[in-house]
Amino acid sequence: MAVEFEVNEREVWDGNYAASQALRQADVDVVVAYPITPSTPIVENYGSYVGNGYIDGEFIMVESEHAAMSGCIGASAAGGRVATATSSQGFALMVEVLYQASGMRLPIVLNVVNRALASPLNVRGDHADMYLGRDCGWLQVSAFNAQEAYDLALCAFRIAEHHDVRLPMMVHQDGFITSHTAQNVYPLSNEAAKKFVGTIDPVDDMLDFSRPVTYGAQTEEDWHFEHKAKQHKAIMDSVPVIEEVFAEFKALTGREYKRVEAYDMEDAEVCIIGLGTTVESARVAAKEMRKEGVKAGVVAMRVFRPFPYEELREVLKNVKSIGVTDRSSPGGAMGAFYNEVSAAMMTSESRPLVTNYIYGLGGRDISIENLKTIFKEQQANADAGHITTDIQQFVNLRGPKLGFFKSKRS
Amino acid sequence: MTEIRWHSRAGQGAVSGAKGLGDVVATTGKEVQAFALYGSAKRGAALRAYNRISDEQIFDHAKFMMPDYVLVIDPALAMTDDITMNDKPTTKYIITSHLSKDELIKAIPALEGKEDRVYVVDCVQISLDTIKRSMPNSPMLGAFVKVSGMFELDYFLENMKRVLKKFPQKIIDANMEAITRAYNEVK
Amino acid sequence: MSVEQQDLNLLANEKRGRFQLEAGQDLYGWNEVTQGSVLPAFEGDASNVANQKAEERNYSDYNSYSATVSSWRVIKPVFNIDVCIDCQNCWVWCPDSSILSRDKQMLGIDYDHCKGCEVCVEVCPTNPKSLLMFSEYEDLGDALASWPEKKKKEKK
Repeated sequence: MAVEFEVNEREVWDGNYAASQALRQADVDVVVAYPITPSTPIVENYGSYVGNGYIDGEFIMVESEHAAMSGCIGASAAGGRVATATSSQGFALMVEVLYQASGMRLPIVLNVVNRALASPLNVRGDHADMYLGRDCGWLQVSAFNAQEAYDLALCAFRIAEHHDVRLPMMVHQDGFITSHTAQNVYPLSNEAAKKFVGTIDPVDDMLDFSRPVTYGAQTEEDWHFEHKAKQHKAIMDSVPVIEEVFAEFKALTGREYKRVEAYDMEDAEVCIIGLGTTVESARVAAKEMRKEGVKAGVVAMRVFRPFPYEELREVLKNVKSIGVTDRSSPGGAMGAFYNEVSAAMMTSESRPLVTNYIYGLGGRDISIENLKTIFKEQQANADAGHITTDIQQFVNLRGPKLGFFKSKRS
Repeated sequence: MTEIRWHSRAGQGAVSGAKGLGDVVATTGKEVQAFALYGSAKRGAALRAYNRISDEQIFDHAKFMMPDYVLVIDPALAMTDDITMNDKPTTKYIITSHLSKDELIKAIPALEGKEDRVYVVDCVQISLDTIKRSMPNSPMLGAFVKVSGMFELDYFLENMKRVLKKFPQKIIDANMEAITRAYNEVK
Repeated sequence: MSVEQQDLNLLANEKRGRFQLEAGQDLYGWNEVTQGSVLPAFEGDASNVANQKAEERNYSDYNSYSATVSSWRVIKPVFNIDVCIDCQNCWVWCPDSSILSRDKQMLGIDYDHCKGCEVCVEVCPTNPKSLLMFSEYEDLGDALASWPEKKKKEKK
């Protein structure tokens, strides 16, 4: 019998500790892990909870992230509640196996503490790893602070394991900016958390000896397409479950999550779209811009996959100019997030002006002033009725101004 | 919003100090942030830790801040690090040093003209006397409590006991003594 | 030994090899394929399969038991029970589990799953061999009737 771990109504936790507490309260059966900065404390703490008898689980240390996710797949196929954590290069090594997990429809929860990809080597936060995972067939949700890293990890088990979903889910938080920043966190009591998350009701579990199953079948051109289409449909169809779990969580805690979140958007003419901690900093900047007479708002991508096209169109329908922020090196194109927002807006009635800001690579700071500059440029676009800057710009970058692509619209 | 910047070396406990401070502040119902900008991750490397304290939820995640307090817990960093960067006309400095305030300001030209906002306390010596090793973070908290007037000393001590509860009683007592001494000795 | 004992349906039930792999199957739409391409091996409760003989098990259509690959074969092994010493060597080596054996008594070939690879013949230690390859079209009776004599040891 597990020993009770004491939690207070108000704690000061960093994002890693908060996520590890969610794993403890969710009674995760198996964590298979290989450590990497900045996500290490999540799995390290889970290991200590097991070691100290706070949880009846298995902590399995393996030789690589590839093995870590492989082990998670085995444990999940066996029918357990399974989670792990990784970052950056570790995530990259995991990628091959991430596709296996989603293809087999295994509800593994992966805490991704976002960090830049080398080279040059860098341990700090950007979203390169999250972008690398965006076609892996996982649900992806972004936490903007430690509280949300905790809340969303709890929600993730509910969503992923729901029989109408049965998909693995990543909970993203910004490396260091969230993972190593202690903030007030208001956790659920152990009892309330346990009740909210419930226990896993396995599907096609390999430990069900009355119904032996084969995992990892081969499908060539005769079957593969149908399976991938079914998987994509499942991702798209996860929306009602995501919304149901968020609604239930709100009823329990008062904390509201939506797939697309809008701040000061009721009458906004210009806005910044982003995810991660930058959303919150942008909210501060928007408030300041409003004092200066700019109708500024912020739109947050809470759920990155499935991508909320309709909701984005709805929340952006009256906006004149949009700055889309991408915290990942775009590698010879526009930022991926820009492309997706543009795809949504291209097919809208209003077709607003959309520009792309590359920022924060390798943990480069983005200040309130930086964000205010973006708002000011959006206001200039809105006033002029066309894009007045390069369509893609770099924020807070040293050296001569760097930008790409001119607008052909006027 | 109150913003604090710690200047420290890895191993001196600035990150723990910032988190401990945050922990105690949170008990007063305020919202806190405690984070650090790590240099090369090895003992002795210069690092900066930060606190934000507010009555409302803190949304600003930028590392950039114009601090209300600068806490320097390494005597040499006071000389070599840019401790006055991004300061305000009201920024208060609490600096660990065996030097007197006059000697210290003479040694750090950047502090000239800020004399009335500079406070000195020998956190290293206090920690050597009480905790029996150089751990200047606890005494700095005592000095901060005095200079900021943010808490009554007794309230702070009671809450720090809770933060330190995983340590043996002897160490908790030594830390309490260190905080109290710095509270009384900061000038 | 009679041809009847070696018929193509030795120890089969009606499911074994009931369809040709890659031919004649219904190709379902995306909405009909199994979730995660997970395939159940049996129909219904299979708790007792470990104690059941193959022909008693309720194999699912996803199980390779239900599909036949016999059409891949151009030559087939024929088993001669008179020569066989029940050493089980062929049973161990057969890559398609097509050697039918009960209580260490060799019975014959599962012609639904044998691909005619000849491994069983290769590993058979008897003299003459108890398994030999014949044309797919060869009548089993004729094959047994033409079985070679024991080879004499060659003098050194």
